[in-house]
Amino acid sequence: MSTPHPQQAAGALPHEPEKATLEGRNKVLGFWLFLGGESVLFGTLFATFLTLRNQVADGPSASELFSLPMTAAATFILLVSSLTSVFAIQAMHRGNRTSLARWLGVTVVLGLAFLILEIYEFAEYIIHDGYGMTTSAFSSAFYTLVGFHGAHVLFGILWISILIGQLFKKGLTVVTAPKIYVSAMYWHFIDVVWVFIFTVVYLLGKVVG
Amino acid sequence: MTDHDLDGGAVKHRHRQEGPQKHVVAFIFSIILTLIAFATVAAGGVNTAFTVLLLLVMAVLQVLVQLGYWMHLKDKGHMIPIIFMAGGFFVAGTAIVAALYWMWW
Repeated sequence: MSTPHPQQAAGALPHEPEKATLEGRNKVLGFWLFLGGESVLFGTLFATFLTLRNQVADGPSASELFSLPMTAAATFILLVSSLTSVFAIQAMHRGNRTSLARWLGVTVVLGLAFLILEIYEFAEYIIHDGYGMTTSAFSSAFYTLVGFHGAHVLFGILWISILIGQLFKKGLTVVTAPKIYVSAMYWHFIDVVWVFIFTVVYLLGKVVG
Repeated sequence: MTDHDLDGGAVKHRHRQEGPQKHVVAFIFSIILTLIAFATVAAGGVNTAFTVLLLLVMAVLQVLVQLGYWMHLKDKGHMIPIIFMAGGFFVAGTAIVAALYWMWW
C-alpha cells in the first residue's frame, strides 16, 4: 500500500512522503489516537455545556446573546481554511514546496481571521454586555467550551506557522512531510469540533434557548 | 479500485494524483449543509423538534464529509484510525448522555 512508487526516481520524494517511512506512518497513526482523545475532551465540555445551558441566572439566555451573522461568518472562514489545508496536502503530494507553503499560509491567515472574530465576539459580551465567565453557569460553560476551541485554533496557527518556517529551512522531506500532514489532520479536526459548536451552542441556542 | 492497483505504475499514479475537483465538491456540499442549517434557524417559525433534528442531521453529515473525504477515513487501510475515532466519539456520547440523564431526569 505504501511501498515506494515504481516510477519514482532514486532520491526523489515519494508521492505520499508522509507515509514513506515507518516513523511517518506511526506519527499519523498516533495522531489518530490523539484525536480520539480530543473527541473525549470536547465531549465532556459539550456534556457540561448541555447540562448547564439553561442556568442563566440574571444574565441573558443563549437566544438573546448570540448573533447569527457573526457565527455564520466564523463558520465560513473555518470551512474555507479546511479546504485550503486540503489544497496544501495536495501540493505536498505533487512535491511542490512553494505551493504547499502558500496554501499553509492562507490557512494560517484564515485561522487568524477566525480567532480575531471570536475575540471580538467575547469582548462584545464581556465589555459591552458585562457578561463574563462568572455571570452564570451557562456563561462559564459557554466560555470554557468555545474558548477551548479557540485555544486549539491559536495552537494550530502557531504550529502551522512554525512548520512553514521549517519547510523553508529544511525543505520538503520524508521527515517534514509527516509533520505537515498531521497538522492538516489537526486543522480538519478543529473544523469538526466547530461544526458541533455552531450547531449545538449557537443554532440550537437560538432555537430552544 | 483493485484494477488500478493491479495495473500498477501509470494508472495507479494518476489515480492517486487526485485533482481538487473531489474536494471542491465536498466543500460545496458542506457549504450547502451549513446554509440549510443557518437558513432554517434564521427563517424561524419551523416546528422546534423538526428544526433540532434537521440541525443535528446537517451537523453529522458535515462531520462525515470532513472525516471521510478530507481526513481520508473512507479510504482503505484506515480501520485502526476509525476504531480510535469511533471509540472517542462513543465515550464522548456516553459522557453527554450520562450528564444530561443525571442532571435532568
